[in-house]
Amino acid sequence: MNTEAVLSSALAGTVILECGDERGEFAGVLLAALGAEVIKLEGRTGSASRRLGPFTTPERGPEHSLCFSRYNLGKKSVSLEIDHPAARDALTSLAARADVIIDSGEAAAIDRRLSIYQEIQKANPRLIVCTITPFGLDGPYRDLKMTNLTQLALGGVMAVCGYDPRADGIYDTPPIAPEMWQALHIAGEYAVISITAGLNFREVTGEGDFIDLSIHEAVSTCTEVAMPTYIYNGAVVQRQTGRHAAEGRTRPWLRRTKDGRYVKAFLFWGGRDVRVIGEMLNEAGIEHDLESDAYRELRKTSPSEAQAHFSDLIDKLAASMTAEELFHRAQAKGLLWASVRYPEENIDDPHFQARGTFQPIHHPELGRDLNYPVSVATDGKDRATAFTRGAPHLGEHNREVLSWAGLTENQITDLVQRDVL
Amino acid sequence: MAQSEPARRRPLEGVRVIDLTKIVAGPNATRMLATMGAEVIRVEWHDDRALDLLRGVRPLAPGGEPDSVNRSGLFNNINAGKYGITLNMNLPQGRDLFKRLVAQASVLCENYSPRQMERWELGYEVLSKINPGLIYMQITGMGKSGTYNSYVSVGPTAQALSGLTHMSGFPEPMQPAGWGYSYLDHSTGYYGAILVLAALLRRRRTGRGCYIDLSQTEAGIMVSGTATLEAQLTGKPTDRHGNRMQAAAWAPHGAYPCRGVDEWIAIAIQDDDQWSSLVTELGAPDWARDTRFSKSDGRKANEDELDRLVAEATKSVERYDLMRRLQQRGVPAAAVQKADDRCERDEQLKARGYFVPLPHSEIGTWAIEGFPAKFDKLSADVGGLPHRGAPVMGEDNDRIYRDLLGLTAEEITALREDWII
Repeated sequence: MNTEAVLSSALAGTVILECGDERGEFAGVLLAALGAEVIKLEGRTGSASRRLGPFTTPERGPEHSLCFSRYNLGKKSVSLEIDHPAARDALTSLAARADVIIDSGEAAAIDRRLSIYQEIQKANPRLIVCTITPFGLDGPYRDLKMTNLTQLALGGVMAVCGYDPRADGIYDTPPIAPEMWQALHIAGEYAVISITAGLNFREVTGEGDFIDLSIHEAVSTCTEVAMPTYIYNGAVVQRQTGRHAAEGRTRPWLRRTKDGRYVKAFLFWGGRDVRVIGEMLNEAGIEHDLESDAYRELRKTSPSEAQAHFSDLIDKLAASMTAEELFHRAQAKGLLWASVRYPEENIDDPHFQARGTFQPIHHPELGRDLNYPVSVATDGKDRATAFTRGAPHLGEHNREVLSWAGLTENQITDLVQRDVL
Repeated sequence: MAQSEPARRRPLEGVRVIDLTKIVAGPNATRMLATMGAEVIRVEWHDDRALDLLRGVRPLAPGGEPDSVNRSGLFNNINAGKYGITLNMNLPQGRDLFKRLVAQASVLCENYSPRQMERWELGYEVLSKINPGLIYMQITGMGKSGTYNSYVSVGPTAQALSGLTHMSGFPEPMQPAGWGYSYLDHSTGYYGAILVLAALLRRRRTGRGCYIDLSQTEAGIMVSGTATLEAQLTGKPTDRHGNRMQAAAWAPHGAYPCRGVDEWIAIAIQDDDQWSSLVTELGAPDWARDTRFSKSDGRKANEDELDRLVAEATKSVERYDLMRRLQQRGVPAAAVQKADDRCERDEQLKARGYFVPLPHSEIGTWAIEGFPAKFDKLSADVGGLPHRGAPVMGEDNDRIYRDLLGLTAEEITALREDWII
């Protein structure tokens, strides 16, 4: 069980079996953060994510993947080969005691197990089964082979991320997939919404449910104004460097700072922004004419020219100080600006330390802790979610979990001897 | 398998949500709750502080009055399935009515600037005395506690600070490409929904409400993947890698130009067999026989040249045709789809009923983006309880004030005349 933060016990007593591939792992880790007992059934060779980098040691062994540990914090591992006929009774025993099964991967792989889940649901009608597949379990694209990259392409995220076109309007750089498994993050978040909705439904009705989640649809919902712009106006937004895709070109948001870093200088380009930037230029000792009658007149007669001039002055302001200085000074003036940080720069930031955003998790192979992001909220004092343990070793909980499921020592030994465990 | 609609029950039946959220992050959270059957009541007012900026944001439904606050397509998409009332919280009578609403609610979600609710004397301390079981979720850019508790943020701000902007695009000297929309408005909404759904489960078990201080920037940190871990391990700052895969020797792995204007295909080669298939579909060019490319490690080591050659080979090919041919050979490949592609050409979204036509009281019936999972039993309807798009301003005043607060028609008229509702 996880530590007693306000929502770390929200799912206390809820048992979740997680099967399949890496596509379901983020859902599992979020549920574990909410206090669920997540049992990972990963087969004798372990989850594919154990073979994805980065690795903590040059051996790149299954216990040394940071990809695996990031997405499997707080879970238990059972190395059961669930597709093997000899594992059927063990799986059935586990499922009889479970509240939720998450199964992820290609639809064809899950098809093999659907009849088993249907049988199990007959015996345990309170069970919730959630499949996470590239396109859902039906439809013409159902069996297309997909990765995180291709999901972000087909789902519309890549088309709105990237760089400005050349001056002649031609794009000479490709659309960009923002890094770090974002298609799977989006799908995992939706899966947890679906599963926690299912658990609420079960409280209301006493019944479980079957949830068929499509990664493609999940990604598709996550492109903000792109879809409504086409649906309502028949227009297609165009990608732009470091800022929102839009129907027409907008002025830059990223400004290079004195230390060679960037600040994201988001503006509404209104009168208040002009006044505040004028004050900041004054404080930085940079000459400007933003308070002059001539500039006020220019704003009326040639807004575009005035914006271009204003934009040049913002560049000068940015070049006069470091990204962090500008971030804090701008925020003190109420501007919606931030430094473009490396993600790890937040670990030592007193703000995030005070909020418990990161939690140290021990890595025995390194002989030290690494700080993991574990919480997006507080209860007003402490982090809302947390973990008491890191990711499991492969098969670390075989005997503990299978004994809990009612298997005898002899049955467990038999599974080992048949190469099913 | 699926039950007929009338038999379906809602997971959040009996749950009432008072929705004081604006723009996208907060409304996206309450959209999920409305989809799951909560009675979500948006509370809005006409002044600048209270009026949702999104009501005026493009795209607008064609026609109608130009200054109408009911025609934004994005607002309609994000606020479907909710009820809407007006309430002037600047007046003591308005705040009294608000307390009466909260007394009958399960959940309050708000994303005003960090101190606004305390200024109105409507913070959690006050409201939890009125309704001890209340789940009060406050969404801010950086979090309500911590050293940045007065800092302000929108999606792009949080994306910059969390590290997500930095982790998108080509390495220096190229700027970050960042995200072409407010990704963290979506993600924060998902986390908001998850935390409320979990808090409702906790309340069903314990009877206790809680306060949730959700940080948009922390939602970004949560989806920063393995970057913070790797940086702690290596001591090196996180870099950008374009569309390339860092976790495994997958190459080529990127977006490649196709025939037409700004048309691209994403290809992710995971092994040597997929590479052979790609070579075949590209017409077996001579360069592909280079032994440096025959194994994955060699392709990864020579990725610059490989990307250039693949791009040369794809540029005369129609993207969907290449996608189809590669997929037939089991190669992960997908057209980079823009919104028009997803609306007009995506047979999967059509087949799964992704677009949900919903009526709106001023602009008629429009397609709303659906929920990305199908359920066998529970009702998940983006049209929510009213089964419609977003409410027009104050659309449900009469019903809510009459049915919920028991006001008479005369009292409601008086409140309207006194500019309280």
